[in-house]
Amino acid sequence: MRGIIRGNAIILLSMLLFAARAVAASSDKPAPKTTKTPTSVAGIRTVFIPSPQSPLCAIRLVFQIGSVDDPAGKEGVASLTADMLGRGGSKARSYAELLDALYPLAAEIKVYGDKESVVFEGTVHRDNLARFADLLANQVLTPRFADDDFARNKEDALDYLTKTLRGNADEELGKQALATVLYQGHPYGRPTSGTVAGLTAITLDDVKKFYAAHYARSRLVVGVAGGYPAGFAEAFAKRFAALPAKAPPLPKLPPAPVIKDNQLLVVQKDARANAVSIGHALDVTRKDADFYPLTVARSYLGEHRTFNGVLMNHLRGNRGLNYGDYAYIESFIQDGWTTFPLPNIPRRQQQFEIWLRPVPPQNSLFALRAALYETDKLIRDGIPQSGFEATKTFLTNYANLWAQDVSRRLGYAIDAVLTGKDLVKELQARLPKMTKADVDKAVRKHLTLNGLSIAMVADHGQALADKLLSDAPTPITYDTAGTPPEILAEDKIIEKFPVPLNKDAVRVVPVDQMFEQ
Amino acid sequence: MRMLLTPALTPVLLAGALALPLLAALGRPSSAASAATAAKPPGSDGSSSSGAGLAFPFPVQEKTLPNGLRVYVVGFDSPGLVAYYSVVRTGSRNEVEAGKSGFAHFFEHMMFHGTEKYTLDAYNGVIKQMGADSNAFTSDDLTVYHILAGKKALPKIVEIESDRFQHLTYQQADFQKEARAVLGEYNKNASNPMEKMVETLYDHAFTTHTYKHTTMGFLKDIENMPNEMAYSRQFFDRFYRPENVVLLVVGDADPAEVFKLVEASYGDWKAGAPHPTIPVEPPQKKEQRAELVWPSSTLPMLIEGYHTPGFSTTNVDLPTLDVLAELLFAERAPLYKKLVITEQKVESMSGSNDAHVDPNLFTVFARIKKPGEVGYVEKSIHDEMARIAKDGVDDATLKDVLSHVKYAFAGQLSTADRTAYTASSFIALTGQLESINAYFALYDKVTSADVKRVATAYFQPANRTVVTLKAGK
Repeated sequence: MRGIIRGNAIILLSMLLFAARAVAASSDKPAPKTTKTPTSVAGIRTVFIPSPQSPLCAIRLVFQIGSVDDPAGKEGVASLTADMLGRGGSKARSYAELLDALYPLAAEIKVYGDKESVVFEGTVHRDNLARFADLLANQVLTPRFADDDFARNKEDALDYLTKTLRGNADEELGKQALATVLYQGHPYGRPTSGTVAGLTAITLDDVKKFYAAHYARSRLVVGVAGGYPAGFAEAFAKRFAALPAKAPPLPKLPPAPVIKDNQLLVVQKDARANAVSIGHALDVTRKDADFYPLTVARSYLGEHRTFNGVLMNHLRGNRGLNYGDYAYIESFIQDGWTTFPLPNIPRRQQQFEIWLRPVPPQNSLFALRAALYETDKLIRDGIPQSGFEATKTFLTNYANLWAQDVSRRLGYAIDAVLTGKDLVKELQARLPKMTKADVDKAVRKHLTLNGLSIAMVADHGQALADKLLSDAPTPITYDTAGTPPEILAEDKIIEKFPVPLNKDAVRVVPVDQMFEQ
Repeated sequence: MRMLLTPALTPVLLAGALALPLLAALGRPSSAASAATAAKPPGSDGSSSSGAGLAFPFPVQEKTLPNGLRVYVVGFDSPGLVAYYSVVRTGSRNEVEAGKSGFAHFFEHMMFHGTEKYTLDAYNGVIKQMGADSNAFTSDDLTVYHILAGKKALPKIVEIESDRFQHLTYQQADFQKEARAVLGEYNKNASNPMEKMVETLYDHAFTTHTYKHTTMGFLKDIENMPNEMAYSRQFFDRFYRPENVVLLVVGDADPAEVFKLVEASYGDWKAGAPHPTIPVEPPQKKEQRAELVWPSSTLPMLIEGYHTPGFSTTNVDLPTLDVLAELLFAERAPLYKKLVITEQKVESMSGSNDAHVDPNLFTVFARIKKPGEVGYVEKSIHDEMARIAKDGVDDATLKDVLSHVKYAFAGQLSTADRTAYTASSFIALTGQLESINAYFALYDKVTSADVKRVATAYFQPANRTVVTLKAGK
C-alpha cells in the first residue's frame, strides 16, 4: 500500500542516483558525540544526535501541519500537499529523475503524517548522506507541483479511500470508522487523507496555496542523527532558512464532542469476521501528570502486540476469540513490522481506544461485551497490586527498546520538543515513585464506559445492531472442548454485560457511503 | 538482498502478522548436524573481523554442541541490549502429510504454552519482567522465536528458551483454544485480497511440492486444527531437535559466556531422527491461470510467478534474478516509470526473487487502476521481459543496481534485532551464517550476458502462473 499519510501505510517513495551538490560546510570528520548541539538554527527548531560509530544517518523533517489545517470543502489537501512534496518532482528534477537519483543510494523519502504532523524521513548510509540530504531539501523547498504528479497523487488518495479502506483492509476500516463516530463534526473525525468530496474538489492551485501558507520555519523541526560529519547538521538545517519565517499556528481545536450515550456504527460490507474498535475522548496528553499512571493502566489492559494485557489473555488466550486485543491512550500507528508506534504523530487531544482484531460473527458481540467487562473491572476494582508491580517493571525495561535505531532515537527526541515531555525519561523518573493508588485514581477519573463510541465492520450489519439493541444475552459459541468451569461461569456474566444503546444512536452504513463527506 | 526482507508480497502479508509466507527458508536438516565440518564465518576463530567490503561486517563466533545445536554470537554495537533468536529450520515446506497444512505456524503458537517448570503464565511473567520485545514468526522454510532484552537477562533467556524447546507441555483445552486464535489470524488477513491471490498463485503453480500451500495453510486444514493434538506431539518430536535449530545471539554479549550458558542448558537435548522427504516438483509444462472475483471494492490486481531454482551460494542465476527484479520493477525501471508515472495505469508494482530452500517463484505484482487495463499491463510486463532478454543491461545501470543492493542490505543491519532477523533468513536457507557473504560475492559475477540468458530461460510462458483479481461489484 503506497501512499503517504494514509492510515498506517508509510510508504516508500523510491530509490536512487546521481546529482547532488554536497551540503555546504560539511567535512569528513565525524561530528563528536559530546559536543553540545544547537536547539535552533536560523530560527528553526533543531534536534541533532551525533553517533560517530554509526554507519547510518537519519534525517527527519517534522512539520506541525496536518489534516486539522484542511480548509472546509478541501478535506485532504494537507495530505495531498505532503504527497506532492515526497512523491512528486522538484524544480531541479521530475519525479522520475528523483527516483533515478535515489536508486543507487538505496534511499527512500518516507512521508507520513497524522492530524497535526507531516514527517519526511530517510535513513541512509553515511556514504550517501550529502546526496540524499540535497535531494530531500530540494523536494521540500522547491516543489515542482507538476500536473501529472498531481493527477497521480490525487487518484492514489481517492483509491485509498474508495478501494483500499472500503474493500481491502477491515481492521483499518474499523479504526477509521471509529474516528467518524467519536469525533463527529471535529477535525479528527475523518481520515487524514481526507474525504471523497474534499479530495475531488481539490485543484493543483489549492495545493500550491496550502504549501505557501503552511510550510514555514515556525512549523518545522529539523532532525539529524547518526554518523554524520561535523558541520553537516547545521548546514543542512540552514537550507530551510529559505522557507518563510512564520505561518499561523495550528488552528485552535474545538473540544472533542461530548457523547453522553453510547453510539454504535456498523459498517456494512462483506466480511468473514467483524473488526471492532471502541473508544472515548480523553482529556490527557503526555503533558499531564495523569498520562503516566494511565500508561500503566493501558499496558496492563492491553499492551500492543504483546501477551501481557488482560484483554489479550482473556479474549484470545482463554477463549480463542480472535488473534489479538489491545488498548491505547493516544493515537497509535504501528511502525512498519515492529511492535512499536511511529514517533512524531503528536495530537493535542487524545482518545482511549480498544482494538479487537476480527472476531467470527457468532461471537463478535460477546467479544465486545468481554472487552467492556474487563475495562469495567479495571475501573471498578482498580489494578491488582501484582499486575501493577509487574507492569511497572515491564515498562521500565520496555521503554529502552522504543528507540533502537538512529531514526527512532531521533523521532523520540523530536517528540520531546513537540510535546514538551521526553516520554522515556518521564516514565523512568515517575515509575519508581508511582503507586497503585495513583493508577486507580487516574483510571477512575479519566476512563469510563458511559458515552462510548463503537465501530464494527460486519456483513448482516442490521441484524447485529438489532441484536445488541434488544439487550438480549449474546452468549459465546465454543467449537472447542475443555473450557475451564470458572471461564464458563464468567461467560454467563459477560454475555449479559450491559451495553446501553438507544435506537437513534445506532447507524448501519453501507461501506460505499463511508468517507464520502 | 532485497528480496529476503522486502519481497513484493510480504509487506501486505506481514502487516501486523507473525507469518512471513514468502520469506526465507531452511536447508536439509541432516546437513546441519555435522559439527566438525561447520565452516567458520569471518572472525569465528575469535579474531575480530575487519569486515571491510563484506556484506555482513560484524565479528562472529560460532560453536556447535555434540548434539548438533549450533550457536552464533555476533558482535553488534547495541550497548546493554541483546537479540536472542532461536531459528528452527522447519516451516510450511515440511508439512508433507495431507490435511496438515499450516501446522508449522500453528505449532509456533503452541510453543508459548509452557512447561512444567515455566507454565504459560510463568513464561509470560518472566518476559514481562524483562520488559522484552518477544514474539515468533513462521515462513515456508523456517520458524523463528525471538527475544530482544537487556543483556542482564541473557542467563534467564537461555534458561526459559532451552526449557521450552526441550520440555514443552500443554493440555487439550489450551491446544484447541490456540487453534482458534490461529483461525483468528486467518480471519484478520481475510479482508486483504493479496492473501487470497498468493494462496491461489501457489496452489496453481505447484502440483506436488509443499510450497503448494501457504504458511497460513488451507482454510479447511486450519478449521480442523483443534482435532490434531496427537499430530502436534509428533511434530514437536520430529522437528524440535538440536540439529535442526540454530541459536543466534546478536548484540552486547560475551561469546564465552553465551557458549557456557548454552552448553549447560541445551547440552542434554537429544538429537532426532531423519525428517520425511519433501516431494520434488516436476517441471511446469504450460502456463497456469486463475481469475478471482473479490466481493468488495478493490482495484484490479495481477500477480505472476515464474519457477526458479532453490537457494545456492554458487549459482549465479540467483543474483541475476535479483538484478532482473530491479531492472524490471524497481522505481527506477523504465517499465515502472511508463506504467506508474507516465501512463498512470498502475497504482503500484513490484517484483522479487524470493529465496527458498527448494525451487520456488520469481513473483510479479501490479495493482491496476482500471479493470479494462489488466491485459495491457500484463502484456507490457511480458514485452519488457522480452526486451531485457534481448538487450541485456548496460554497465552503468548494472553498477547502479549493485550499488543499490549493497546499500539496501547495509540499511537492513540497523539494529541488533534487525541484524538477527536478516541473518536468520540465511541460516534457515543453509544453516550457515557465512552464506551471507558468499551469496553477496556472487553479485560481482553477474554480467549482461547472464541477464540475457537468465531472462530468456526463466521468463517463458510455460514457466508462468498468472492470477488476476477484479471487483465483483
